[in-house]
Amino acid sequence: MAPPPDDPGATTEKIPLGQRLFDNVFLLLGLGLLVMFVAFTGWGMWEILSMPKATLP
Amino acid sequence: MTAPALHPFRTCPATGHRIDRQAERLVRVNAVAAVVALLVGAIAALLLVLTRWQAVHLLPAVWYYRILGVHGMNMLIFFIIFFEMAVLWFAGTVLLDSRPAAPRYGWFNFALMVSGALLVESMQWSGRADVLFTSYPPLKAHPLFYLGVILFAVGALGVVGQFFATLVIAKREKTYAGSMPLVVYGAMTAAIIAVITLVHGAAVYIPTFLWSLGLIPAVDPEVYRLLWWALGHSSQQINVAAMVAIWYMLGALTVGAVVLNEKVSRSAFVLYILFISMASAHHLLVDPGFGPAWKIVNTSYFMYMAVLASMVHGFTVPAGMELGMRLRGYTDGLFGWLRRAPWGDPGFSALVLSVVVFGFFGGITGVTIGTEQINITVHNTLRVPGHFHATVVSGTAMSFMGATYYLLPLVFQRKVAFWKLAKVQPYLFSLGMLMVEMGMTFAGSFGVPRRHWDISFSQAPFDVAFSPAVDLFLAVMGIGGILAVTGALSFIAIAVKSVFFGETVTEFTRGVAMEGVPQGLTHPPVHPKNADELNEAMHAPARGIAGATPGTLVLVAVFLVAFMLYYFTNWKLLTFLWKIG
Repeated sequence: MAPPPDDPGATTEKIPLGQRLFDNVFLLLGLGLLVMFVAFTGWGMWEILSMPKATLP
Repeated sequence: MTAPALHPFRTCPATGHRIDRQAERLVRVNAVAAVVALLVGAIAALLLVLTRWQAVHLLPAVWYYRILGVHGMNMLIFFIIFFEMAVLWFAGTVLLDSRPAAPRYGWFNFALMVSGALLVESMQWSGRADVLFTSYPPLKAHPLFYLGVILFAVGALGVVGQFFATLVIAKREKTYAGSMPLVVYGAMTAAIIAVITLVHGAAVYIPTFLWSLGLIPAVDPEVYRLLWWALGHSSQQINVAAMVAIWYMLGALTVGAVVLNEKVSRSAFVLYILFISMASAHHLLVDPGFGPAWKIVNTSYFMYMAVLASMVHGFTVPAGMELGMRLRGYTDGLFGWLRRAPWGDPGFSALVLSVVVFGFFGGITGVTIGTEQINITVHNTLRVPGHFHATVVSGTAMSFMGATYYLLPLVFQRKVAFWKLAKVQPYLFSLGMLMVEMGMTFAGSFGVPRRHWDISFSQAPFDVAFSPAVDLFLAVMGIGGILAVTGALSFIAIAVKSVFFGETVTEFTRGVAMEGVPQGLTHPPVHPKNADELNEAMHAPARGIAGATPGTLVLVAVFLVAFMLYYFTNWKLLTFLWKIG
């Protein structure tokens, strides 16, 4: 069971880097937005904008 | 003389959590709004299923398409997102023992969401928004329809912001130690995906609103489709994350499930955050505006990362339940833990049915039809709604119903009304939905189109003949629909009776069964004091590959074989249609 929050011994242990990254809500939010904007939205918009105009027969 | 002010917190008699009363009221109103939307959506579902069942063909064309839009908005947006707002308020405050951030602003956001939903409803029911759920331009609705969607989305985004602020408060005020609990982590994942979704929603609906007002000349349909699906599909990924969080919560509450490995489960949630939203691209797999590289990268390489995450949860949730049961002494055979599980607890049965149908049906069909080559045989057929009803309804809605059976006594402090009906309701609803999904999937495999009012094409200058088997599949869908709507209306009756007329319950006497209170609250699953030793023994290398959870390993093997068979069969079917050489 986790020690109570006011236990002075509770925060002495060094938290691993991976855990700190996973606990960083705003970092995850930024990464989630970035990956989606680059791979789906940005690339998709580029595909649309770079589409050649159709020529009439 | 004034009445003494209520203490801002109360202590839950079952879990010991501190519950902020303002946050509790916000959980309640959002949950009630969700149930109201479910009622409207369920009535619409009955009308639709009795129209698509060709032998009945109830509604005229105009009303069919109108009600289809109503069903989509109520089920996929209002019911689900109101309930998710309740989950965010619950997870952010109750599970973290925290006070909420700016609760009055929460009421403002709730009012925005209700106003938006009412605007959309009024436009749809009055025939001024017959644009279906996708509202693709050049179809144009009344401006108030788009305004309603925008208000709803702004309110939801506000609540998500408050959830993040509550996480900051909880961390700063040290209401919990170490990392946030896994269930809250799942809710946080849902909140992040909600931001991704709602930003795209703003990008697509604000210009469309301006176009409907005549302030801008046109909306590019291709751009609209791209941005709209980043909203339309990603909004369903919020559900997935919220549903998985509820799986973990219900597992712990009902059978004392343990988290097998925090790192693995959290990594799976992070994979959702990074990659699940790209699955939106599989709606555009037959769209000529996008190249194969964009389609394949988004729907295969990236989406498979999210699929991997779902498969991780699909293993860790039942395995955690098995290990939790084994630690409590249910060790006989492969499936003794499953046989002796509390199947009469609607929270537990809803959990298991949600996991099984979501994984076996929704997951397998989703990955298969999200493959570019196979998608060509599936696109715009009834197989597509067959798939997403398995994920959104049998998976998400079922898990939300299961959670409600625990929220009623814990948050509303009411006994579950119609208790005998409540025990049966998850089975009835799940069976009905399974029949709907099977009927749709098989009819779709014979080419029956989705969304179509009349597949017999009566009065058309051409003739389309489907296999006679289609009539059988549509009848299965129709009968299943009636069962499922009966299950949904039963749930609504139980929820309404419990909340507004239910018997108050504030204490749970341990070891004493109470009518209307789930077993997990009266007989909370407690692990023995030597649980750590037992756990060590169960993970001993001598136990071989089966490890501590042999039953789940067998179930996972069955799942993988089913997955491979379905995937292979679809490629085989494609070769019949698409002959090369």
